[in-house]
Amino acid sequence: MYQTHKTFITPDMKLSGLINENSSLLLLLEHFEVDFAVKDRTVEQLCTENKIDLAVFLVIGNLYNGFYPDEKEINSLTDITSIIRFLKNSHRFYKNDKYPELRYFIQQLHEKHDSEDILLIEKFFNDYFEEVLEHLDYEDGVVFPYIIRLIEEGKIPQNSDFSANDYRDHHSDIETKLTDLKNLLLKYISLKNDFSVRRKFMFGLFELEFDLNIHSIVEDKILLPLVGKIEVEPANG
Amino acid sequence: MDKNRINIAILEPSQIIYEGLSNILLKFKKNFYIYRFNDLEELKHSFSKLELNIAIINPSAIQNKLTDFVKLKNTSRGILWIALIYSFFDNELLQKFDDELTINSSRDQILNKIGQSVNTAVNSQIEELSEREIEVLIQMVAGLSNKEVADKLNISIHTVISHRKNITEKTGIKSLSGLTIYAISKKIIPLENTSI
Repeated sequence: MYQTHKTFITPDMKLSGLINENSSLLLLLEHFEVDFAVKDRTVEQLCTENKIDLAVFLVIGNLYNGFYPDEKEINSLTDITSIIRFLKNSHRFYKNDKYPELRYFIQQLHEKHDSEDILLIEKFFNDYFEEVLEHLDYEDGVVFPYIIRLIEEGKIPQNSDFSANDYRDHHSDIETKLTDLKNLLLKYISLKNDFSVRRKFMFGLFELEFDLNIHSIVEDKILLPLVGKIEVEPANG
Repeated sequence: MDKNRINIAILEPSQIIYEGLSNILLKFKKNFYIYRFNDLEELKHSFSKLELNIAIINPSAIQNKLTDFVKLKNTSRGILWIALIYSFFDNELLQKFDDELTINSSRDQILNKIGQSVNTAVNSQIEELSEREIEVLIQMVAGLSNKEVADKLNISIHTVISHRKNITEKTGIKSLSGLTIYAISKKIIPLENTSI
């Protein structure tokens, strides 16, 4: 979804204008724990006030606006803790907000429609989300602590279960299932007379997909290469 | 990664023209992914990583590197090479491209040219599964491995894999559990026969 026509965010732009253009940036703010009342602040002011690394905010913000960072931009990022802060808060959003919301809608659909198709979708969704939660727990419990230790100790931590390859596989699985779920609902499963709940459910899915998409870009294309760099030259990290 | 995405490389030194062109393209279809390159060298480097569909190039960028360009073009298949023209170029140079856009092309003309290559890709997708694919699907969702499916249907394992690939491309569904739901909703298999 990062190909839509949006503004390329620079430090001197006002947040209010940017949010008016792309309301998904509210998620960006939330993932950085920034209040939505941005007043008259520019991107740079907001970052300074909230102690967010400007370069990290710009790269991730521009992903929300459809711009993919090049290698040079990625390599110039130094504040990995800001990236992890963003990722952790995104996890919280998926677990405590998005998941219960989608689950509620699907239960409502189930209550209203005694159809086997919905039963199947519900089962698929629950299995899918179990996988997602397992993955999030793995990141929160294994990956992030590994990286934080790596940064703090300046050397590769011993006794860690972290494996970059396993980690990438997880992501592609998660994206596959979400695409499947969307395609099932868009192409094959029809329900009569229930626009409202179904719309909310589907909007929710799209919102989740959009955010997850950025999330995995941040993890796979930004965080992991940066961590890889420290692993190679730990003494300087 | 989304199989339907169309990767477009633009090699154009002018920022104004690059942004104008990419804006027009982005408004056209949501699965366009645009990558900008500064020179042929850079494009060559990203070539292996990026599955390009279309390359739009200002001929001045390859003028002195014709051999390189032709080599690159020959090593790649299925890419549409379009010259983006707003000054005079030798015919010999322009002939190296598959097609041309000029600075005066209208929005529709641009989209027609780009769209042609895209549409053929989209139209070739027929969604209805063939009888053989349905047979494979039934065995797959029953939990059989590729080898077991091959033995049961008396076909090679390669054929099974290629059927699976087609099934996923046609239905848009990749996971086994997703395909099971597909098969039930299409009444290919009854609900009772599944583990769901």
